[in-house]
Amino acid sequence: MTAARVQLSGIVKRHGAVTALAGIDLEIQAGEFFSLLGPSGSGKTTTLRILAGLEAADAGTVHVNGEDVTLLEPGARDVAMVFQSYALYPHMTVGENIAFPLRMSGVAPQEISRSVKEAAEKVRIAHLLERKPGQLSGGQQQRCALARAIVRKPALFLLDEPLSNLDAKLRIETRVELKRLQRALNVTAVYVTHDQEEALSLSDRLAVFMDGRIVQMGTPEEVFSRPATVAVAGFLGNPPMNLLPARLDEGVAKVESFSFPVPTLKHLGTKDVVLGIRPSGVRLSQDGLPATVAMSEALGEEFYADVAVGELLVRARVKERPAERAQVRLQLDEAGLHVFDRASGLRL
Amino acid sequence: MKLRHAVLLAVAVLMMLVWTFPVLWGLLTSLKTERDVLAYPPTVIFEPTAGNYRDVLFGATSILPNLVSSVIVSGLTTVLTMLFAIPAAYALSRLDLPFKRASGFYVLATQMLPPVGLVIPYFLLLRRIGWTDTYQGLVLVYLTFALPFAIWLLVSYFEEIPREMEEAALLDRAGRWRALWHVILPQARGGIAVTLIFVFLNSWNEFLFAVVLGGNTVRTVTVAMFNFISLEQTQWARLAAAAMVGMAPVIALGLIAQRHIVKGLTVGAVKGGARR
Repeated sequence: MTAARVQLSGIVKRHGAVTALAGIDLEIQAGEFFSLLGPSGSGKTTTLRILAGLEAADAGTVHVNGEDVTLLEPGARDVAMVFQSYALYPHMTVGENIAFPLRMSGVAPQEISRSVKEAAEKVRIAHLLERKPGQLSGGQQQRCALARAIVRKPALFLLDEPLSNLDAKLRIETRVELKRLQRALNVTAVYVTHDQEEALSLSDRLAVFMDGRIVQMGTPEEVFSRPATVAVAGFLGNPPMNLLPARLDEGVAKVESFSFPVPTLKHLGTKDVVLGIRPSGVRLSQDGLPATVAMSEALGEEFYADVAVGELLVRARVKERPAERAQVRLQLDEAGLHVFDRASGLRL
Repeated sequence: MKLRHAVLLAVAVLMMLVWTFPVLWGLLTSLKTERDVLAYPPTVIFEPTAGNYRDVLFGATSILPNLVSSVIVSGLTTVLTMLFAIPAAYALSRLDLPFKRASGFYVLATQMLPPVGLVIPYFLLLRRIGWTDTYQGLVLVYLTFALPFAIWLLVSYFEEIPREMEEAALLDRAGRWRALWHVILPQARGGIAVTLIFVFLNSWNEFLFAVVLGGNTVRTVTVAMFNFISLEQTQWARLAAAAMVGMAPVIALGLIAQRHIVKGLTVGAVKGGARR
């Protein structure tokens, strides 16, 4: 089975008066691990469901390997899906669950039992085939759902927040395994998540969804290092980027009532902007913006310090823990500055 | 907590007595001779006789043909009801149809009409098409009650099953019908059993329509029992024996399906209570 190439063009979906998707254009390459990332209600799951054929788009087309599948039933699309709830059939054993897609496709019985064993071994649940889903742990259920999805060797693999019901440790383990599986099977995977860490670590490329639109698409590095809008900047990174409303005036930035020079931004002239800077780009030093330490948090080797600049709270990542209520000064690392237009929110 | 349990137990025993007393009394009566039945004060210790059962089953007034009638009518009604109600309820629970909620209400509204108001129109209708005193006539009329009831009951069971179940089945290439058959129906087993039993019992126990719309050909067991009461005399012992015989399948069915009923009823009840 060759991996599928997917193309969504102009997908619009309305639920009554609410527009869930306002024109989604997306191209996913064969064999790619592609994530749809966004906060809840941003339209990522709806996009996945339209791709699966579980929902019909009000406008737009879905192409898989160049073939228009917009009007095809889910079963005719050669896609497999892992649901957030796993949707295992509770009255069937694990083995029967995994066998189900093959049975429905009319595969011969010997072939079915061979494929079921193979799929179960790939996700290491071969010893659980006789159990019912209710007798499995969360992680085992998750593997069972994975096995049911891969057993048919689909061209396209859809995953709807598959890790969100697992505990933190298992989530990271399974994440690694998912990626390994996707590579080993050489299948195109579309992965929906609201967890930016998952998306950044798993994806070859990702699309950031906000309010029914794709606001940015690219590799994890691109999206992380050059967020296209203020909203993306605020969404990505843990903790998120500091966003400071500022006024630029010929190479001088004014934040609250304090000014500091930013010669690299001189070309922008006079403008109302939002300056973004990650906590790692904020330093406590001898000179710079006067600030008061509001709180600090231990991270292990380092600390986060929340410092107040006027009314604004800025988070800095520091080596030594500052005393609370201490008067300090902040330096912003000029190379780490992201500049966004205040009115449009777009990157400048 | 102890006291609470004791009170609950006492209430349960009391209620059980209230419900079982008529049945037990009927059982005793069915084993008495007509003379013992009329004895005053009533005798509790008497010489039991199987004579009433012999008369009722094999005598001149045998109710065996009536039992057969009842089985045909109730069986047909149940089979047809389930055949139509399952797909209908599934559709109602799953598809986004316009006026879905309103239609649910109207389905239920049919259950609120007093049957007496309908029996004459039904009689006139059936007579016009020549279906009085026929199985198809009585079954047709029973369907008008059983179907809405069964659909309404089943919808709540189907709604219990997450939609992702058949979405998964659809992606697994089952198609709608096979998704229903392989994935949804097995999970709705309890609800289907409960519905089936209710439909069967309702038509088995039905009297009014059976007595008016039936006749010599189609005379169900409830109607036949009534024949033991006449102007001159009521044959209490035989009536009781006939009642016991008529009740036997009901009780047997109840015992067989007990597990399903208890489980199914609580699911339905909670869900029913939570719905609008």
